[in-house]
Amino acid sequence: MRAGVVAFLAPSLVLLTIFVLIPLGWVIRISFNENVGGAYMRSAWVLDNYIQFLGSTWYLVNTLWYTVYIAFFATVLSALLAYPVALYIARSTGFQKSILMTLVLSPLLIGLVTLVYGWIVIFRGGGILNSLLIGLGVYDEPAQYMWNIKGVVILLVYIGMPYMTMSLLDSIERINPFLAEAARNVGANRWTTFWKITFPLTMPGLYAGLVIVFTLNFAAFAVPLMVGPDETRMIGLLIYKEALINNNLPFASSISVIMIAASSVTIIGLGYLFNKMILNKLEAKK
Amino acid sequence: MRIDFGTWMLRLFTYVAMAFLFFPIAITLLVSINPNEFILPPTGVTMEWFRAAWTSSKFVDAMVVSLVLGIVATLSANALALLAVLALVRYNFPGKAFVNLLIMSPILIPATIFSLALYVFLARIGLGGSITSLVIGHTIHVLPFAVRILAASLQNFDTSLEEAARNVGASGTRTLFSITLPVIKTGLISSLTLCFVLSWNDFPISVFLAPPGWTPLPVELYSYIKYQYDAVGAALASSLIILSAIAIIILDRATGIRRAIRGEAPGVKS
Repeated sequence: MRAGVVAFLAPSLVLLTIFVLIPLGWVIRISFNENVGGAYMRSAWVLDNYIQFLGSTWYLVNTLWYTVYIAFFATVLSALLAYPVALYIARSTGFQKSILMTLVLSPLLIGLVTLVYGWIVIFRGGGILNSLLIGLGVYDEPAQYMWNIKGVVILLVYIGMPYMTMSLLDSIERINPFLAEAARNVGANRWTTFWKITFPLTMPGLYAGLVIVFTLNFAAFAVPLMVGPDETRMIGLLIYKEALINNNLPFASSISVIMIAASSVTIIGLGYLFNKMILNKLEAKK
Repeated sequence: MRIDFGTWMLRLFTYVAMAFLFFPIAITLLVSINPNEFILPPTGVTMEWFRAAWTSSKFVDAMVVSLVLGIVATLSANALALLAVLALVRYNFPGKAFVNLLIMSPILIPATIFSLALYVFLARIGLGGSITSLVIGHTIHVLPFAVRILAASLQNFDTSLEEAARNVGASGTRTLFSITLPVIKTGLISSLTLCFVLSWNDFPISVFLAPPGWTPLPVELYSYIKYQYDAVGAALASSLIILSAIAIIILDRATGIRRAIRGEAPGVKS
Protein backbone atom coordinates (compact mmCIF):
# COMPACT_ATOMS: atom_id res chain seq x y z
CA MET A 1 0.00 0.00 0.00
CA ARG A 2 2.79 2.43 0.95
CA ALA A 3 4.61 1.59 -2.29
CA GLY A 4 1.38 2.21 -4.22
CA VAL A 5 0.99 5.66 -2.70
CA VAL A 6 4.52 6.60 -3.67
CA ALA A 7 4.11 5.29 -7.22
CA PHE A 8 0.82 7.15 -7.70
CA LEU A 9 2.09 10.44 -6.36
CA ALA A 10 5.60 10.33 -7.77
CA PRO A 11 4.86 11.63 -11.31
CA SER A 12 3.03 14.74 -10.08
CA LEU A 13 5.45 15.43 -7.28
CA VAL A 14 8.52 15.07 -9.47
CA LEU A 15 7.00 17.37 -12.11
CA LEU A 16 6.00 19.98 -9.53
CA THR A 17 9.35 19.84 -7.80
CA ILE A 18 11.29 20.30 -11.03
CA PHE A 19 9.01 22.89 -12.60
CA VAL A 20 7.62 24.81 -9.62
CA LEU A 21 9.81 24.47 -6.52
CA ILE A 22 13.20 24.56 -8.22
CA PRO A 23 12.23 27.45 -10.54
CA LEU A 24 11.00 29.45 -7.53
CA GLY A 25 14.27 28.75 -5.75
CA TRP A 26 16.09 29.75 -8.92
CA VAL A 27 14.25 33.08 -8.99
CA ILE A 28 15.41 33.79 -5.44
CA ARG A 29 18.96 32.75 -6.34
CA ILE A 30 19.32 34.91 -9.44
CA SER A 31 17.81 37.90 -7.65
CA PHE A 32 21.30 38.18 -6.09
CA ASN A 33 23.11 37.96 -9.44
CA GLU A 34 24.75 40.87 -11.15
CA ASN A 35 23.23 42.15 -14.34
CA VAL A 36 25.97 42.89 -16.86
CA GLY A 37 23.83 44.36 -19.61
CA GLY A 38 22.06 42.83 -22.56
CA ALA A 39 20.62 39.47 -21.71
CA TYR A 40 23.61 38.52 -19.60
CA MET A 41 24.10 38.17 -15.89
CA ARG A 42 27.02 37.23 -13.73
CA SER A 43 26.68 34.71 -10.95
CA ALA A 44 27.20 36.56 -7.69
CA TRP A 45 25.80 37.21 -4.24
CA VAL A 46 25.13 40.94 -4.31
CA LEU A 47 22.21 43.05 -3.12
CA ASP A 48 22.40 45.48 -6.06
CA ASN A 49 19.01 44.54 -7.45
CA TYR A 50 17.27 44.96 -4.13
CA ILE A 51 19.04 48.27 -3.51
CA GLN A 52 18.06 49.45 -6.98
CA PHE A 53 14.41 48.96 -6.05
CA LEU A 54 14.28 49.64 -2.31
CA GLY A 55 16.73 52.53 -2.46
CA SER A 56 14.68 54.43 -4.99
CA THR A 57 11.78 56.64 -3.97
CA TRP A 58 10.44 56.32 -7.48
CA TYR A 59 10.07 52.56 -7.21
CA LEU A 60 8.94 52.55 -3.59
CA VAL A 61 6.34 55.29 -3.79
CA ASN A 62 5.35 55.44 -7.42
CA THR A 63 5.40 51.71 -8.09
CA LEU A 64 5.10 49.64 -4.91
CA TRP A 65 2.82 51.94 -2.91
CA TYR A 66 0.87 52.91 -6.00
CA THR A 67 0.23 49.21 -6.76
CA VAL A 68 -0.94 48.56 -3.19
CA TYR A 69 -3.27 51.54 -3.53
CA ILE A 70 -4.75 50.57 -6.92
CA ALA A 71 -5.03 46.87 -6.01
CA PHE A 72 -6.72 47.65 -2.70
CA PHE A 73 -9.08 50.19 -4.22
CA ALA A 74 -10.16 47.72 -6.93
CA THR A 75 -10.53 44.95 -4.33
CA VAL A 76 -12.82 47.05 -2.12
CA LEU A 77 -14.89 48.07 -5.14
CA SER A 78 -15.37 44.45 -6.19
CA ALA A 79 -16.39 43.54 -2.64
CA LEU A 80 -19.00 46.34 -2.62
CA LEU A 81 -20.31 45.12 -5.94
CA ALA A 82 -20.19 41.40 -5.11
CA TYR A 83 -21.78 41.52 -1.65
CA PRO A 84 -25.37 42.38 -2.69
CA VAL A 85 -25.06 40.02 -5.65
CA ALA A 86 -23.96 37.16 -3.40
CA LEU A 87 -26.85 37.92 -1.00
CA TYR A 88 -29.33 37.83 -3.84
CA ILE A 89 -27.92 34.63 -5.36
CA ALA A 90 -27.98 32.93 -1.96
CA ARG A 91 -31.69 33.75 -1.65
CA SER A 92 -32.64 32.69 -5.16
CA THR A 93 -33.37 29.10 -6.10
CA GLY A 94 -33.59 26.71 -9.02
CA PHE A 95 -33.14 27.93 -12.57
CA GLN A 96 -32.65 31.58 -11.62
CA LYS A 97 -29.85 30.65 -9.25
CA SER A 98 -28.06 28.52 -11.81
CA ILE A 99 -28.31 31.25 -14.47
CA LEU A 100 -26.97 33.88 -12.07
CA MET A 101 -24.14 31.57 -10.96
CA THR A 102 -23.20 30.91 -14.58
CA LEU A 103 -23.16 34.62 -15.42
CA VAL A 104 -21.09 35.51 -12.38
CA LEU A 105 -18.53 32.79 -12.98
CA SER A 106 -18.29 33.05 -16.76
CA PRO A 107 -15.54 35.72 -16.76
CA LEU A 108 -13.31 33.06 -15.19
CA LEU A 109 -13.85 30.76 -18.14
CA ILE A 110 -13.77 33.35 -20.90
CA GLY A 111 -10.24 34.42 -21.58
CA LEU A 112 -8.75 37.65 -20.32
CA VAL A 113 -7.82 38.91 -23.78
CA THR A 114 -11.35 38.31 -25.01
CA LEU A 115 -12.86 40.24 -22.12
CA VAL A 116 -10.32 43.01 -22.55
CA TYR A 117 -11.27 43.26 -26.21
CA GLY A 118 -14.90 43.85 -25.24
CA TRP A 119 -13.87 46.57 -22.83
CA ILE A 120 -11.63 48.20 -25.43
CA VAL A 121 -14.63 48.53 -27.72
CA ILE A 122 -16.55 50.11 -24.85
CA PHE A 123 -13.77 52.32 -23.51
CA ARG A 124 -12.23 53.84 -26.59
CA GLY A 125 -12.37 57.58 -27.17
CA GLY A 126 -15.19 57.29 -29.67
CA GLY A 127 -16.35 54.08 -28.02
CA ILE A 128 -19.72 52.94 -26.85
CA LEU A 129 -19.46 54.12 -23.25
CA ASN A 130 -18.65 57.65 -24.30
CA SER A 131 -21.41 57.81 -26.87
CA LEU A 132 -23.78 56.60 -24.17
CA LEU A 133 -22.58 59.03 -21.51
CA ILE A 134 -22.59 61.97 -23.92
CA GLY A 135 -26.03 60.91 -25.08
CA LEU A 136 -27.23 60.91 -21.47
CA GLY A 137 -25.65 64.31 -20.95
CA VAL A 138 -23.12 63.12 -18.36
CA TYR A 139 -20.21 64.54 -20.34
CA ASP A 140 -19.93 67.10 -23.10
CA GLU A 141 -16.89 65.58 -24.71
CA PRO A 142 -15.37 62.07 -24.69
CA ALA A 143 -13.66 61.13 -21.42
CA GLN A 144 -10.54 59.02 -21.62
CA TYR A 145 -10.89 55.53 -20.11
CA MET A 146 -8.78 53.47 -22.42
CA TRP A 147 -5.04 53.45 -21.76
CA ASN A 148 -5.83 55.08 -18.50
CA ILE A 149 -5.67 53.87 -14.90
CA LYS A 150 -9.49 54.09 -14.65
CA GLY A 151 -9.72 51.37 -17.29
CA VAL A 152 -7.27 49.23 -15.30
CA VAL A 153 -9.37 49.59 -12.14
CA ILE A 154 -12.63 48.77 -13.95
CA LEU A 155 -11.09 45.62 -15.41
CA LEU A 156 -9.56 44.53 -12.11
CA VAL A 157 -12.98 44.95 -10.46
CA TYR A 158 -14.53 42.98 -13.30
CA ILE A 159 -12.08 40.10 -13.00
CA GLY A 160 -12.23 40.13 -9.19
CA MET A 161 -16.04 39.85 -9.14
CA PRO A 162 -16.34 36.07 -9.69
CA TYR A 163 -13.79 35.21 -6.97
CA MET A 164 -15.34 37.65 -4.51
CA THR A 165 -18.89 36.48 -5.17
CA MET A 166 -17.95 32.81 -4.85
CA SER A 167 -16.15 33.40 -1.58
CA LEU A 168 -19.01 35.45 -0.08
CA LEU A 169 -21.62 33.00 -1.30
CA ASP A 170 -19.82 30.16 0.46
CA SER A 171 -20.09 31.92 3.80
CA ILE A 172 -23.64 33.21 3.30
CA GLU A 173 -24.92 29.75 2.47
CA ARG A 174 -23.28 28.34 5.57
CA ILE A 175 -25.36 30.58 7.84
CA ASN A 176 -28.08 28.73 9.67
CA PRO A 177 -31.37 30.20 8.36
CA PHE A 178 -32.98 29.72 11.78
CA LEU A 179 -30.73 32.44 13.20
CA ALA A 180 -32.32 35.13 11.05
CA GLU A 181 -35.76 33.72 11.76
CA ALA A 182 -35.08 33.72 15.48
CA ALA A 183 -33.96 37.34 15.31
CA ARG A 184 -37.13 38.29 13.48
CA ASN A 185 -39.24 36.38 15.97
CA VAL A 186 -37.90 38.51 18.80
CA GLY A 187 -38.88 41.60 16.85
CA ALA A 188 -35.75 42.59 14.90
CA ASN A 189 -36.49 44.10 11.49
CA ARG A 190 -34.73 42.94 8.31
CA TRP A 191 -32.11 45.69 8.51
CA THR A 192 -31.17 44.89 12.12
CA THR A 193 -31.18 41.18 11.37
CA PHE A 194 -28.77 41.78 8.50
CA TRP A 195 -26.32 43.91 10.51
CA LYS A 196 -26.45 41.83 13.69
CA ILE A 197 -26.66 38.32 12.26
CA THR A 198 -25.84 37.96 8.58
CA PHE A 199 -23.09 40.54 8.18
CA PRO A 200 -20.90 39.38 11.10
CA LEU A 201 -21.23 35.77 9.99
CA THR A 202 -20.03 36.59 6.47
CA MET A 203 -16.80 38.15 7.76
CA PRO A 204 -14.70 35.00 7.08
CA GLY A 205 -15.97 34.86 3.49
CA LEU A 206 -15.38 38.57 3.01
CA TYR A 207 -11.88 38.25 4.39
CA ALA A 208 -11.09 35.25 2.17
CA GLY A 209 -12.45 37.12 -0.86
CA LEU A 210 -10.43 40.24 -0.08
CA VAL A 211 -7.24 38.19 0.27
CA ILE A 212 -7.75 36.27 -2.98
CA VAL A 213 -8.71 39.32 -5.04
CA PHE A 214 -6.05 41.55 -3.53
CA THR A 215 -3.34 38.99 -4.28
CA LEU A 216 -4.52 38.70 -7.88
CA ASN A 217 -4.80 42.47 -8.34
CA PHE A 218 -1.48 43.17 -6.71
CA ALA A 219 0.40 40.82 -9.03
CA ALA A 220 -1.63 41.62 -12.17
CA PHE A 221 0.38 42.32 -15.28
CA ALA A 222 -1.88 41.36 -18.16
CA VAL A 223 -4.59 43.94 -17.38
CA PRO A 224 -2.25 46.95 -17.04
CA LEU A 225 -0.34 45.69 -20.08
CA MET A 226 -3.45 45.59 -22.22
CA VAL A 227 -5.52 48.55 -20.99
CA GLY A 228 -3.10 50.68 -18.98
CA PRO A 229 -1.10 53.62 -20.31
CA ASP A 230 2.43 52.83 -21.50
CA GLU A 231 3.98 54.13 -18.32
CA THR A 232 1.60 52.24 -15.94
CA ARG A 233 3.56 51.86 -12.75
CA MET A 234 2.16 48.57 -11.48
CA ILE A 235 4.62 46.11 -10.02
CA GLY A 236 3.47 43.04 -11.96
CA LEU A 237 3.86 44.93 -15.22
CA LEU A 238 7.30 46.11 -14.12
CA ILE A 239 8.36 42.47 -13.63
CA TYR A 240 7.05 41.59 -17.09
CA LYS A 241 8.87 44.49 -18.72
CA GLU A 242 12.16 43.90 -16.91
CA ALA A 243 12.07 40.19 -17.78
CA LEU A 244 10.78 40.16 -21.36
CA ILE A 245 11.61 43.61 -22.72
CA ASN A 246 14.76 44.71 -20.86
CA ASN A 247 16.01 41.14 -20.35
CA ASN A 248 17.14 42.08 -16.86
CA LEU A 249 16.34 38.77 -15.16
CA PRO A 250 18.14 39.49 -11.85
CA PHE A 251 16.16 42.71 -11.40
CA ALA A 252 12.87 41.07 -12.43
CA SER A 253 13.56 38.28 -9.92
CA SER A 254 14.34 40.63 -7.05
CA ILE A 255 11.14 42.60 -7.75
CA SER A 256 9.23 39.30 -7.61
CA VAL A 257 10.69 38.52 -4.19
CA ILE A 258 9.79 42.04 -3.01
CA MET A 259 6.32 41.66 -4.46
CA ILE A 260 5.65 38.41 -2.60
CA ALA A 261 6.94 39.98 0.62
CA ALA A 262 4.82 43.12 0.20
CA SER A 263 1.75 41.10 -0.69
CA SER A 264 2.19 38.89 2.40
CA VAL A 265 2.68 41.91 4.66
CA THR A 266 -0.48 43.54 3.32
CA ILE A 267 -2.49 40.35 3.81
CA ILE A 268 -1.19 39.88 7.35
CA GLY A 269 -2.02 43.53 8.04
CA LEU A 270 -5.50 43.01 6.65
CA GLY A 271 -5.98 39.96 8.87
CA TYR A 272 -4.88 42.00 11.89
CA LEU A 273 -7.27 44.79 10.96
CA PHE A 274 -10.14 42.33 10.63
CA ASN A 275 -9.39 40.73 13.96
CA LYS A 276 -8.82 43.88 15.97
CA MET A 277 -11.28 46.31 14.53
CA ILE A 278 -14.18 44.39 13.18
CA LEU A 279 -14.41 41.15 15.10
CA ASN A 280 -13.61 42.83 18.45
CA LYS A 281 -16.18 45.50 17.81
CA LEU A 282 -18.80 42.89 17.09
CA GLU A 283 -17.74 41.09 20.21
CA ALA A 284 -18.11 44.27 22.25
CA LYS A 285 -21.57 44.98 20.85
CA LYS A 286 -22.88 41.67 22.05
CA MET B 1 -41.80 34.80 -0.24
CA ARG B 2 -43.03 38.30 0.46
CA ILE B 3 -41.38 40.67 -1.98
CA ASP B 4 -40.53 43.85 -0.12
CA PHE B 5 -38.62 47.00 -0.98
CA GLY B 6 -35.25 45.64 0.21
CA THR B 7 -35.53 42.54 -1.96
CA TRP B 8 -36.45 44.68 -4.95
CA MET B 9 -33.39 46.86 -4.46
CA LEU B 10 -31.21 43.77 -4.13
CA ARG B 11 -32.69 42.31 -7.30
CA LEU B 12 -32.21 45.53 -9.22
CA PHE B 13 -28.60 45.80 -8.04
CA THR B 14 -27.90 42.20 -9.01
CA TYR B 15 -29.34 42.68 -12.50
CA VAL B 16 -27.25 45.82 -13.02
CA ALA B 17 -24.15 43.93 -11.86
CA MET B 18 -24.99 41.09 -14.25
CA ALA B 19 -25.34 43.60 -17.07
CA PHE B 20 -21.89 44.92 -16.13
CA LEU B 21 -20.49 41.38 -16.31
CA PHE B 22 -22.19 40.54 -19.57
CA PHE B 23 -21.75 43.91 -21.29
CA PRO B 24 -18.28 43.41 -22.85
CA ILE B 25 -19.18 39.88 -23.99
CA ALA B 26 -22.39 41.03 -25.65
CA ILE B 27 -20.67 43.99 -27.31
CA THR B 28 -17.95 41.74 -28.75
CA LEU B 29 -20.49 39.30 -30.17
CA LEU B 30 -22.54 42.16 -31.60
CA VAL B 31 -19.60 43.88 -33.30
CA SER B 32 -18.42 40.61 -34.85
CA ILE B 33 -21.62 40.27 -36.91
CA ASN B 34 -22.23 43.97 -37.51
CA PRO B 35 -21.61 45.18 -41.11
CA ASN B 36 -20.78 48.66 -39.79
CA GLU B 37 -18.18 47.34 -37.34
CA PHE B 38 -18.31 49.61 -34.30
CA ILE B 39 -21.34 51.68 -35.20
CA LEU B 40 -24.23 50.37 -33.17
CA PRO B 41 -27.01 49.34 -33.27
CA PRO B 42 -26.31 46.84 -36.08
CA THR B 43 -28.13 47.34 -39.34
CA GLY B 44 -27.77 43.76 -40.49
CA VAL B 45 -25.85 40.55 -40.04
CA THR B 46 -22.61 39.71 -41.79
CA MET B 47 -20.21 36.79 -41.63
CA GLU B 48 -17.50 38.82 -43.37
CA TRP B 49 -15.39 39.37 -40.21
CA PHE B 50 -15.57 35.72 -39.24
CA ARG B 51 -14.56 34.71 -42.75
CA ALA B 52 -11.60 37.11 -42.62
CA ALA B 53 -10.54 35.78 -39.22
CA TRP B 54 -10.90 32.13 -40.12
CA THR B 55 -9.09 32.35 -43.45
CA SER B 56 -6.08 34.27 -42.15
CA SER B 57 -3.26 31.73 -41.97
CA LYS B 58 -1.80 33.53 -38.96
CA PHE B 59 -4.96 32.96 -36.94
CA VAL B 60 -5.58 29.43 -38.18
CA ASP B 61 -2.01 28.51 -37.17
CA ALA B 62 -2.54 30.07 -33.74
CA MET B 63 -5.81 28.16 -33.38
CA VAL B 64 -4.06 24.89 -34.19
CA VAL B 65 -1.33 25.69 -31.64
CA SER B 66 -3.95 26.45 -28.96
CA LEU B 67 -5.92 23.33 -29.79
CA VAL B 68 -2.92 20.98 -29.72
CA LEU B 69 -1.53 22.64 -26.60
CA GLY B 70 -4.91 22.47 -24.85
CA ILE B 71 -5.41 18.79 -25.66
CA VAL B 72 -1.90 17.69 -24.72
CA ALA B 73 -1.86 19.73 -21.48
CA THR B 74 -5.37 18.55 -20.52
CA LEU B 75 -4.62 14.87 -21.08
CA SER B 76 -1.27 14.98 -19.27
CA ALA B 77 -2.64 16.94 -16.33
CA ASN B 78 -5.63 14.60 -15.95
CA ALA B 79 -3.52 11.47 -16.14
CA LEU B 80 -1.21 12.86 -13.45
CA ALA B 81 -4.14 14.11 -11.39
CA LEU B 82 -6.00 10.82 -11.53
CA LEU B 83 -3.00 8.92 -10.18
CA ALA B 84 -2.33 11.49 -7.49
CA VAL B 85 -5.96 11.62 -6.42
CA LEU B 86 -6.21 7.82 -6.08
CA ALA B 87 -3.45 8.08 -3.49
CA LEU B 88 -4.61 11.33 -1.86
CA VAL B 89 -8.25 10.41 -1.33
CA ARG B 90 -7.75 6.85 -0.18
CA TYR B 91 -4.65 6.83 1.99
CA ASN B 92 -3.34 8.80 4.87
CA PHE B 93 0.38 9.18 5.05
CA PRO B 94 2.87 11.49 6.73
CA GLY B 95 3.48 14.73 4.85
CA LYS B 96 0.07 14.66 3.20
CA ALA B 97 -0.59 18.30 4.01
CA PHE B 98 2.64 19.31 2.32
CA VAL B 99 1.85 17.18 -0.74
CA ASN B 100 -1.55 18.87 -0.97
CA LEU B 101 0.04 22.29 -0.73
CA LEU B 102 2.60 21.44 -3.42
CA ILE B 103 -0.09 20.15 -5.78
CA MET B 104 -2.21 23.28 -5.24
CA SER B 105 0.80 25.61 -5.47
CA PRO B 106 0.37 26.53 -9.16
CA ILE B 107 -2.91 28.28 -8.34
CA LEU B 108 -1.70 29.73 -5.06
CA ILE B 109 1.30 31.45 -6.66
CA PRO B 110 0.39 34.57 -8.70
CA ALA B 111 0.58 33.87 -12.44
CA THR B 112 3.20 36.60 -12.87
CA ILE B 113 5.66 34.89 -10.50
CA PHE B 114 4.83 31.37 -11.70
CA SER B 115 5.41 32.35 -15.34
CA LEU B 116 8.58 34.30 -14.61
CA ALA B 117 10.00 31.40 -12.58
CA LEU B 118 9.29 28.90 -15.37
CA TYR B 119 10.62 31.32 -17.97
CA VAL B 120 13.99 31.86 -16.26
CA PHE B 121 14.35 28.23 -15.27
CA LEU B 122 13.48 26.74 -18.67
CA ALA B 123 15.86 29.19 -20.33
CA ARG B 124 18.57 28.06 -17.89
CA ILE B 125 18.14 24.35 -18.64
CA GLY B 126 17.91 24.98 -22.37
CA LEU B 127 14.21 24.29 -22.84
CA GLY B 128 13.28 27.94 -23.34
CA GLY B 129 11.89 28.82 -26.75
CA SER B 130 10.52 25.35 -27.46
CA ILE B 131 6.97 24.06 -27.56
CA THR B 132 7.88 21.81 -24.60
CA SER B 133 8.02 24.82 -22.34
CA LEU B 134 4.44 25.81 -23.25
CA VAL B 135 3.22 22.25 -22.69
CA ILE B 136 4.92 22.05 -19.28
CA GLY B 137 3.60 25.46 -18.24
CA HIS B 138 0.02 24.70 -19.23
CA THR B 139 0.04 21.18 -17.76
CA ILE B 140 1.19 22.47 -14.38
CA HIS B 141 -1.22 25.41 -14.54
CA VAL B 142 -4.30 23.18 -14.98
CA LEU B 143 -3.15 20.30 -12.75
CA PRO B 144 -4.61 21.69 -9.48
CA PHE B 145 -8.04 22.12 -11.08
CA ALA B 146 -8.04 18.51 -12.29
CA VAL B 147 -6.95 17.28 -8.86
CA ARG B 148 -9.71 19.19 -7.10
CA ILE B 149 -12.52 18.01 -9.36
CA LEU B 150 -11.36 14.39 -9.47
CA ALA B 151 -10.80 14.35 -5.71
CA ALA B 152 -14.32 15.61 -5.16
CA SER B 153 -15.83 12.93 -7.37
CA LEU B 154 -13.70 10.12 -5.95
CA GLN B 155 -14.69 11.02 -2.41
CA ASN B 156 -18.25 9.97 -3.09
CA PHE B 157 -17.05 6.73 -4.60
CA ASP B 158 -17.91 3.47 -2.85
CA THR B 159 -14.64 1.52 -2.68
CA SER B 160 -16.46 -1.76 -2.10
CA LEU B 161 -17.26 -1.74 -5.84
CA GLU B 162 -13.55 -1.92 -6.59
CA GLU B 163 -13.02 -4.60 -3.96
CA ALA B 164 -15.78 -6.67 -5.52
CA ALA B 165 -14.10 -6.41 -8.93
CA ARG B 166 -10.74 -7.38 -7.45
CA ASN B 167 -12.35 -10.31 -5.62
CA VAL B 168 -13.66 -11.79 -8.84
CA GLY B 169 -10.16 -11.59 -10.26
CA ALA B 170 -9.99 -8.31 -12.18
CA SER B 171 -6.53 -6.76 -12.41
CA GLY B 172 -5.81 -3.29 -11.06
CA THR B 173 -5.85 -1.74 -14.53
CA ARG B 174 -9.02 -3.58 -15.49
CA THR B 175 -10.70 -2.35 -12.29
CA LEU B 176 -9.64 1.21 -13.06
CA PHE B 177 -11.06 1.18 -16.58
CA SER B 178 -14.17 -0.94 -15.93
CA ILE B 179 -15.23 0.33 -12.51
CA THR B 180 -13.48 3.47 -11.29
CA LEU B 181 -13.44 5.59 -14.46
CA PRO B 182 -17.08 4.90 -15.44
CA VAL B 183 -18.23 5.81 -11.93
CA ILE B 184 -16.38 9.14 -11.85
CA LYS B 185 -17.28 9.85 -15.48
CA THR B 186 -19.06 13.15 -14.87
CA GLY B 187 -16.20 14.39 -12.72
CA LEU B 188 -13.76 13.40 -15.43
CA ILE B 189 -15.76 15.15 -18.17
CA SER B 190 -15.95 18.24 -16.02
CA SER B 191 -12.23 18.13 -15.31
CA LEU B 192 -11.23 17.61 -18.95
CA THR B 193 -13.48 20.46 -20.06
CA LEU B 194 -12.31 22.90 -17.41
CA CYS B 195 -8.64 22.12 -17.99
CA PHE B 196 -9.03 22.54 -21.74
CA VAL B 197 -10.86 25.83 -21.51
CA LEU B 198 -8.35 27.24 -19.01
CA SER B 199 -5.48 26.30 -21.29
CA TRP B 200 -7.30 27.50 -24.41
CA ASN B 201 -7.88 30.94 -22.89
CA ASP B 202 -4.65 31.36 -20.96
CA PHE B 203 -2.72 34.54 -21.57
CA PRO B 204 -0.20 35.21 -18.73
CA ILE B 205 1.68 31.91 -19.00
CA SER B 206 1.61 31.81 -22.79
CA VAL B 207 2.95 35.33 -23.18
CA PHE B 208 5.99 34.44 -21.06
CA LEU B 209 6.62 31.00 -22.54
CA ALA B 210 5.44 31.07 -26.17
CA PRO B 211 8.38 30.41 -28.48
CA PRO B 212 8.58 32.16 -31.85
CA GLY B 213 6.38 30.40 -34.39
CA TRP B 214 4.23 28.78 -31.73
CA THR B 215 1.88 31.55 -30.70
CA PRO B 216 -1.34 30.44 -28.99
CA LEU B 217 -4.53 32.22 -30.05
CA PRO B 218 -4.95 34.58 -27.05
CA VAL B 219 -1.42 35.91 -27.51
CA GLU B 220 -1.98 36.29 -31.25
CA LEU B 221 -5.23 38.12 -30.54
CA TYR B 222 -3.42 40.41 -28.13
CA SER B 223 -0.74 41.33 -30.67
CA TYR B 224 -3.45 41.89 -33.26
CA ILE B 225 -5.61 44.22 -31.18
CA LYS B 226 -2.55 46.13 -30.02
CA TYR B 227 -2.08 47.53 -33.52
CA GLN B 228 -5.35 46.92 -35.33
CA TYR B 229 -8.78 48.10 -34.40
CA ASP B 230 -11.34 46.39 -36.58
CA ALA B 231 -14.14 43.87 -36.43
CA VAL B 232 -11.86 40.98 -37.42
CA GLY B 233 -10.51 41.17 -33.86
CA ALA B 234 -14.08 40.97 -32.62
CA ALA B 235 -14.75 37.90 -34.77
CA LEU B 236 -11.66 36.23 -33.36
CA ALA B 237 -12.64 37.15 -29.80
CA SER B 238 -16.15 35.85 -30.52
CA SER B 239 -14.70 32.53 -31.68
CA LEU B 240 -12.96 32.24 -28.32
CA ILE B 241 -16.19 33.18 -26.53
CA ILE B 242 -18.22 30.59 -28.45
CA LEU B 243 -15.80 27.81 -27.55
CA SER B 244 -15.82 28.92 -23.91
CA ALA B 245 -19.62 29.02 -23.96
CA ILE B 246 -19.73 25.41 -25.16
CA ALA B 247 -17.39 24.49 -22.32
CA ILE B 248 -19.58 26.36 -19.82
CA ILE B 249 -22.63 24.39 -20.99
CA ILE B 250 -20.76 21.07 -20.67
CA LEU B 251 -19.52 22.00 -17.19
CA ASP B 252 -22.98 23.09 -16.15
CA ARG B 253 -24.46 19.78 -17.31
CA ALA B 254 -21.73 17.61 -15.82
CA THR B 255 -21.07 18.88 -12.31
CA GLY B 256 -22.19 22.50 -12.27
CA ILE B 257 -19.78 25.35 -12.89
CA ARG B 258 -19.41 26.36 -9.30
CA ARG B 259 -18.52 22.85 -8.21
CA ALA B 260 -16.10 22.51 -11.11
CA ILE B 261 -14.22 25.70 -10.32
CA ARG B 262 -14.42 25.39 -6.57
CA GLY B 263 -13.74 21.68 -6.33
CA GLU B 264 -12.69 20.41 -2.93
CA ALA B 265 -9.32 20.02 -1.36
CA PRO B 266 -8.28 16.39 -1.81
CA GLY B 267 -8.41 14.28 1.31
CA VAL B 268 -10.87 16.55 3.08
CA LYS B 269 -13.99 14.59 3.89
CA SER B 270 -17.09 16.69 3.60
